[in-house]
Amino acid sequence: MLSDIAEEARLAALNVADFASDLVEPTLRLGVTGLSRAGKTVFITALVHNLTRGGKLPLFSAHASGRIGRAYLRPQPDDTVPRFDYEAHLAALTGGGDIDTRHWPDSTRHISELRVTLEFESETFIGRNLGRGRVNLDIVDYPGEWLLDLSLLDLDYAGWSARAIAQSRTGARAKLAKPFHALLETLDPAGAEDETKAREAATSFTAYLRACRSERYALSALPPGRFLMPGDLEGSPALTFAPLDVEAWQSAKRGSLQAMMARRYEAYKQSVVRPFFRDHFARLDRQIVLVDLLQVLNAGPSALADLETALADILAAFRPGAKSWLSQILSRRIDRICFAATKADHLHHANHDRLEDLLAHISERAIARADFAGAETDVVALASVRATREATVKRGRDTLDCIVGVPEKGQKVGRETYDSSDEIALFPGDLPDDPRTALADPAKALMAPKGITAKEWDAYRFLRFRPPVMADETPPVLPHIRLDRALEFLLSDRLA
Amino acid sequence: MSKKPTAFRLDDPDVLVEEAPTPKSRGKTSKPKALVAPDTELEKNLSPDETGTALAPAPEPAKRGFRWAGLFGVAFGALVSLALGLWVTELVEALFLRAQWLGWFGLGLAGLTGLALLVLVLRELIGIRRLTRVTELREAAETAAANDDMGAAKRVVARVMNLYRGDATTAKGRVELSSHAADIIDGRDRLKLAERHLLTAKDAEARGLILGAAKRVTAVTAISPRALVDIVYVFYESLRLIRRLATLYGGRPGGLGTAKLARMVLGHLALTGGVAMTDSLVQQLIGHGLAAKLSARLGEGVVNGLMTARIGLAALDVCRPLPHLERSAPALTDIMGELTTFGSADKQD
Repeated sequence: MLSDIAEEARLAALNVADFASDLVEPTLRLGVTGLSRAGKTVFITALVHNLTRGGKLPLFSAHASGRIGRAYLRPQPDDTVPRFDYEAHLAALTGGGDIDTRHWPDSTRHISELRVTLEFESETFIGRNLGRGRVNLDIVDYPGEWLLDLSLLDLDYAGWSARAIAQSRTGARAKLAKPFHALLETLDPAGAEDETKAREAATSFTAYLRACRSERYALSALPPGRFLMPGDLEGSPALTFAPLDVEAWQSAKRGSLQAMMARRYEAYKQSVVRPFFRDHFARLDRQIVLVDLLQVLNAGPSALADLETALADILAAFRPGAKSWLSQILSRRIDRICFAATKADHLHHANHDRLEDLLAHISERAIARADFAGAETDVVALASVRATREATVKRGRDTLDCIVGVPEKGQKVGRETYDSSDEIALFPGDLPDDPRTALADPAKALMAPKGITAKEWDAYRFLRFRPPVMADETPPVLPHIRLDRALEFLLSDRLA
Repeated sequence: MSKKPTAFRLDDPDVLVEEAPTPKSRGKTSKPKALVAPDTELEKNLSPDETGTALAPAPEPAKRGFRWAGLFGVAFGALVSLALGLWVTELVEALFLRAQWLGWFGLGLAGLTGLALLVLVLRELIGIRRLTRVTELREAAETAAANDDMGAAKRVVARVMNLYRGDATTAKGRVELSSHAADIIDGRDRLKLAERHLLTAKDAEARGLILGAAKRVTAVTAISPRALVDIVYVFYESLRLIRRLATLYGGRPGGLGTAKLARMVLGHLALTGGVAMTDSLVQQLIGHGLAAKLSARLGEGVVNGLMTARIGLAALDVCRPLPHLERSAPALTDIMGELTTFGSADKQD
């Protein structure tokens, strides 16, 4: 309790400092998060690329009306946070001069930051004469798993254990957690503390979490997130713990295995979760949550249910709310949250509305919470980098709305394997009109063609297209879908 | 329900690939988003009558039964036409009796009269059709914006582009707009884009027209010797304003068209006047009160000017091919501010 108050006080102090520096250098901190493979890296790269190169953003009003004079990268304010390696990611996307080597950038596994400064002319009289005409956009990229960790702040070890174990026994997780469950049988929470046993348990638990996250299952709610991306904490006691089969109210005896685990769990919270919350998360102004809904749809019902829980958990950690003059000084609030279904270019645009409906439906709880707190929310189906074109294919009497793109090397569709130069037209299937139909039976949402084995179908469903060749315009920019709409929602009021 | 996914090679001889699909409805109408409003910021700040989406564009003709007056009109008109025809025929015959060349001359004149009449009627018909097309267009745009319907918005934008095809002032806007033709843009957003690229300059000009008319009416009322002169001038200026606004937005009505338009504007005023009244009554009283203190005639002038401005704003709503989506429609208060400053500046001299 006391530590909570102290923590709040520290936060307030940090925010006052931020507020003071804001007066000199107006700053907007944009949090970009998403569960793994949601396309965070590509999103940030495309965003920065389009802003700095003057991309085609007709719906981003400040940009379209020509009020943004210049946008450029600047050294970031936090010296201890890694820089988002924009140049390398862009080079990967565009092939860096050699168009044939273009590929999707590798996913990042840690927090990173990038500062883009926008020079603009205000639309208002006051803004023009008193404003700085400049705003720093600090983009903070962090794994979505870390967000789920924030829900741990309110749980003690026994409570978390009971929840994690119960969760591992449901749905698709039960099968994946079998080895861990077997090991769990041999562990006695009341027994003497033992480093070897603790390490075995932690390793087995981590293996289970990793299996859950694989593309085939695409499960989302997987705290503690640092187990999957340990970084420099690997092997330290703070990461060497696991849930034990205890009741939520059960307290630990001194010197027992449970007591040791509980201590390490608390250490994890203190040294990993809290600093993240304090230094990064609690200082965000805007947030975009990226979700790869298509992958989740493909992975089946457990993945969907999991995603819904994860999104609700994520939003529970946010401090959404309308801004007032006092709260602006003492505590930052996220006043706009954008939920984005990424990789919309894998569907024909006739299905985008349905994709948005589906995401809105899944994040209903989260949105209701944010709305209640006074934050604005928006749901967008976007493609940060559009890798496909659209076409219609006449086949017999049917006209199919298709997408055309170059599949990555070795990708299989049906019985054919493609090398990386063939362009194919793909009919990706239609999403059902009513999001509830898709939720009730996600496997049927996009159905398998006849005469294709389950294995081939898997490969087919996860078909990946290569990044596009940049449009032949001056300057050459990456094409996108609705990136400008998301930007308009997230940034426009600060550029008014 | 859902169709199954399939893949095709592009060189497959069985398939025919068409790039950039032409917009076809295909019976897939997108539903309005129940959970998330498409543009919350705009909608939060504006009342429906300001966004223009809530405005009923034109009063629908009341359903009526058999109308004796109508029958009378038609029958009487037919009689008059017959009489006219008879009169012309007799006249030409009489002329032929008088002298051969006079007869031919009269026949030629009659022919020219007929031709001119035909052209006039045709032009009026075309003008009226253009007017109804603009109205239909705006209604279609309103529905598309309300449903955020991508396909419908694309069709509406194509029609607006077509409407302005011959208008050189929109050339730049049309080029920019067509550069987004192949992009994937939501319905409402596409309409906003079209509004920005095609109508921004026209909106500014329309505002200038309304303001100019209102100022002239104010001045004329303030100095006119008789009330009758005011009334005639207001009437003349309003009609001229309506006509010029329609021409500006591509309606180009003729005489009958203007009459129809004036009726639509009056209907629109009747529908929205009440709403507009309440939100600007207070300011109107203040503005009017100040001017009236300085001079009673000037006060009357401001009132007449405001009335003209209100007619102009209603005409703008009726003539604009797209509803106001990106920015709010110009309100009476905008115009009023300038009118009253004009009034006081005028008085100081």
